[in-house]
Amino acid sequence: MFEGIALTDRGALAVGACIYLSAFLFGLISLQLRKHYSRTIVLGLIAGGFALQTVGLNLRGIHVGGCPLGNSFELTQFIGWSVVLLYLIIGPIFRLRLLGFFCAGLATLLSAVSLMIPSWDQAYPINPAGGNPWVELHAALAIFSYGFFAMVALVSIMFLIQQHGLKKKQTGSIYHYLPSIQQLDQMGYRLILAGVLCLTAALAFGAVFYAENKELVPVFKLTVTCLVWIGYSSVAILRQQRKLVTRRHALSAIALFAFALLSLWPIQSASSQQDAPTTAPRQE
Amino acid sequence: MSFDALQSLFVIGCSHHQTPLEVRERLALSKAEISELQDTIKTVPGIRECLVLGTCNRFEIYGIADAPSIAAHICEHLCQHRKIDAEIFSHYSYQVSNLEVLQHAFEVASGLDSQMIGETEILGQMKDAYAAAKAANCTGVILNRLFEKSFQAAKAARTQTNITKGQVSVGNVAVDLAGRIFGTLSRSRVLLLGSGEVGELTAQALKSRGVTDITVSSRTFAHAQGLAEKFDGETLPFEDFAAQLEQFDIIISSTAAPGSILSPNTIEATLKPRPERPFFLIDLAMPRDIDPAVERIENVYLYNLDDLSAIANQNLAQRKGEITKARKLLKAQAWLLWLQLRRRTLAK
Repeated sequence: MFEGIALTDRGALAVGACIYLSAFLFGLISLQLRKHYSRTIVLGLIAGGFALQTVGLNLRGIHVGGCPLGNSFELTQFIGWSVVLLYLIIGPIFRLRLLGFFCAGLATLLSAVSLMIPSWDQAYPINPAGGNPWVELHAALAIFSYGFFAMVALVSIMFLIQQHGLKKKQTGSIYHYLPSIQQLDQMGYRLILAGVLCLTAALAFGAVFYAENKELVPVFKLTVTCLVWIGYSSVAILRQQRKLVTRRHALSAIALFAFALLSLWPIQSASSQQDAPTTAPRQE
Repeated sequence: MSFDALQSLFVIGCSHHQTPLEVRERLALSKAEISELQDTIKTVPGIRECLVLGTCNRFEIYGIADAPSIAAHICEHLCQHRKIDAEIFSHYSYQVSNLEVLQHAFEVASGLDSQMIGETEILGQMKDAYAAAKAANCTGVILNRLFEKSFQAAKAARTQTNITKGQVSVGNVAVDLAGRIFGTLSRSRVLLLGSGEVGELTAQALKSRGVTDITVSSRTFAHAQGLAEKFDGETLPFEDFAAQLEQFDIIISSTAAPGSILSPNTIEATLKPRPERPFFLIDLAMPRDIDPAVERIENVYLYNLDDLSAIANQNLAQRKGEITKARKLLKAQAWLLWLQLRRRTLAK
């Protein structure tokens, strides 16, 4: 279908990133010039970017014969895709103002960084018959939970901006459009619970594979993943017990996401050291 | 000789701009009186269409006469009717005609001519006045077109400029801040401490934006009871309010106490059982009722009268910056309507 227009996976992902960027810039200009911020236009642009990113990941999936989660480039793209998918689901339901703007910013950043670092798109062994479906499910759920955690980080940033404005008695169009701190706090809590559930399910599926193939799972990867799970579970429990609330909850969510995101690359390196590259997934 | 209706389109009026309150009071009419006056003006020989607009800051008669001189008869008639000295009325009133009437009506409808620039209440009042005049057959083709276009122009000015952005009264600024803290206010519980006027207005503004649960506590029980009845709320003995604070989300304090009645320790104790719920404190008293150190407590948002006034003034300054833009837009629309009306009257 795409041969006629010579669309490569990276090409589609790059166009998707440009559309995300246009959504972010549209929001930024609207806020800077105090013009009307149109949620419909931002949502439309993000949906367009998401469609292109889905096409790109789909092309890559066909090429590698499975879920494209084999190198840092694919992981980063998949996290960005998960964040946007979550926004497209929860955005229209909860109508959190400016969430689309922040979401477009994060999706642009993740896409642009992954596209601009060629070394992230390293070759890795591919299985033409497809991998173990349980491992694929584990990996997809784990990365999808990172999408939840990215969304929590975004909501937490929005919370901190609104709270800063209220404490410093500032007014401005960004504060006018941001949701209330109470809504953001509750949304952060709900998203963290959903993310923990998703990661728990991912770890449960992974555990089944690990029990039978202990030598195939690097200890470092296992340790970091468990640390991320413990971190987020602790934050969720402390929030539920009202011991970690509002500002400290938001800061914890941002710090944990930074840790989770930064830990992906060492995990990826540890995994790739165990696999010898046999073919390049990159399509030029 | 054919009659050119537009050459005798006029507005006679008084507004907050140049008319003192004493004169405006003489022109403050009830709906029934406005209707009666409108009917009387319509019977004045030479008057084709008329509409009377009366608000707390403005009294205006819009009309179309057979000749420009008839507007002067209307003034005389009005002065006799309201027992106002004609000289005083002439000194404090204004009269505009033809194209300027269109521009004036557009600016009034969009709130540009209002005391609180950009307010939208005037649009509703104009719509009511127009509906009443139309129902009484006092308006015709020209005034109908003028008023319908005024409403459209007001909408365009609101959406294409920022003249309505930002609240400019202390009560509405507090409501905006409450929205930034709680989102929808229907579940927020409000405690009004004291019976100061600004506190009452702030509580009223919150009620108009969806707050349903207002409790009043005052040293004078009769005052508290009176206010509670006004807001369909409850009363709380003043000596008990500190112990009940944790049940409330918004505290409006405007007592005449000589010093602080809410200390950081009291607020910290209040937040202990509900640390995740924000606490919005509005201190409208002079001297202040709430210790400023409270501001440093996590999840507490304290605003005093100066803070709210500063935001209101900031919003007002921003609105004033939008006036030129809105006026330019309305002028272009008025000119367009003028051309349409001229074409229509000349074609007849």
